[in-house]
Amino acid sequence: MDFSVNLGLLKLKTPLMLASGTWGLGENLDKFFSLKEIRENIGALVTKGISINPRKGNPPPRLFETPCGLINFIGVENPGIKEFKKSFLPKIKKFGIPVIVNLYGEKIEEFLELAKDLKKEKVAGLELNISCPNVEKGGIYFSYDPKIVSELVRKVRKVWERFLAVKLSPVGPVYEIAEICEKSGADAIVVANTYPALAVISLKPFKILQGGLSGPAIKPLTLRLVYEISKKIKIPVIGCGGIISGKDALEYLLSGAKAFQIGTTNLIDPRSAIKIMRELKEFKNGLCDKSDTC
Amino acid sequence: MYQGKVVFNIKEADNIYLLGIEAPKKILKSFKPGQFLKIKIDKRFDPLIPRPFSIHAIDENILYILYQVVGKGTKALSEIKKGEIIEFLGPLGKPFPKIKNYIICAGGIGIAGFGFLLQKSVNKKDFYPPEKIFYGAKTKNELVRLPFLKKFGIPIKLSTDDGSKGYKGLITDMVEKELKKNPQIILACGPQPMLKKIAELGEKYKVKTYLVMETFLACGIGFCMGCVIPSKKGNYLHLCIDGPTFLAEEIDLGFLS
Repeated sequence: MDFSVNLGLLKLKTPLMLASGTWGLGENLDKFFSLKEIRENIGALVTKGISINPRKGNPPPRLFETPCGLINFIGVENPGIKEFKKSFLPKIKKFGIPVIVNLYGEKIEEFLELAKDLKKEKVAGLELNISCPNVEKGGIYFSYDPKIVSELVRKVRKVWERFLAVKLSPVGPVYEIAEICEKSGADAIVVANTYPALAVISLKPFKILQGGLSGPAIKPLTLRLVYEISKKIKIPVIGCGGIISGKDALEYLLSGAKAFQIGTTNLIDPRSAIKIMRELKEFKNGLCDKSDTC
Repeated sequence: MYQGKVVFNIKEADNIYLLGIEAPKKILKSFKPGQFLKIKIDKRFDPLIPRPFSIHAIDENILYILYQVVGKGTKALSEIKKGEIIEFLGPLGKPFPKIKNYIICAGGIGIAGFGFLLQKSVNKKDFYPPEKIFYGAKTKNELVRLPFLKKFGIPIKLSTDDGSKGYKGLITDMVEKELKKNPQIILACGPQPMLKKIAELGEKYKVKTYLVMETFLACGIGFCMGCVIPSKKGNYLHLCIDGPTFLAEEIDLGFLS
């Protein structure tokens, strides 16, 4: 069965992509899958967010479970672009699937420097994380500022000729940002990142954790965004939010997504990709259409 | 994830249960003392994240998990019935260090993972038995699995907060008495205040001290970076890949409240 999808400059063997931050830097893929399984099931690997300098991440607690969801406050812990290129990229390239590098910057210049730094590397594309604070604008998130997103995407587009996706935040002027990404030259948009959320971790003393909510709890919200946004723009929408089964994936595809990313489910079971693709195939074959467990 | 059949899930004391999972021997052979596994507890995504447990013992094709009900995940686990199939992922994390001439200090359910260490140290091949076991709990009822632990012939010193069995007071008082006489390596697992005290004792009596830590964790395999423990160097250690057993001198003890 042919599951290949065309995302403009990027062709994927399957519509399933591993979402940023849920497989580390991807270097351990072959510990949980055979090479054949990787190539037959995983359309692309999106790396954890990479910044120019190493980031040690946020202090604990970094996680809090909610009903059907998970709040994370990781803080883009990563070894920096230099170490990524030296110690991780050579290994993940060998898996033979497209590698998309998720870029984390706090200034437009940082995104540009990262994109230029990866030009000579064998990576299939970039995914810009715009859910980060823009230090040049007093820390307001890029995703709240359509003008800045437009400038960011246009400037990266000038230096990067391969596949370029923007990962939208689900909050802020989302529809406007989606249209701006298209106008500014993005090849695809990923809808969407985690939802800003808060957990009370202790009543007395009152302690909270603020982070991003993911998991099945957010699926109906993101599905709505995918449905609406895919009617407004022509570039491919990649759905990302709470997919845990083949049925979830199919719902995204039928709602307008050309491809989908799986995230939190990888943290539950690292072999989720295999299960989801198997169920998706069963749906396509009509074997699974009445079951709510697929 | 592997599948296993629940062969028993019995109450050992108030809120403490012993779960037996039947699983292929080949899989269980790969587990080493000190490592842990994640058990997927509910198929309807609440609780969403599989919960980590230490391995209490392995007999042939039966995996024993000794656990305390502390929240939603363990509550749901306690309701699983004999015959049900559960999924688990493991072994995860690093085994205990291969040390000799050491004592074990366990507080409450912190005893769970040491049963497997005792089993695996009988032949003194990969792991060595402790000189003594110090085991404390709130009350007599919560000192569980004593007949099993006593089987290995290692002296066990008990304490309870209410004096209902053994020494009345904290187990760390007994550990200090021992260290005064005979300073030796400590391997400890239990509540954070106990671990903090043990780390202080380790420093005071200049003995190497290993702490088995606990945090909420998600992936258990180094993907999500969620389970960090602050180190003395100012960076973060990851419980699932660097631990769960850490040298006390590497950890920022301010983390242990």
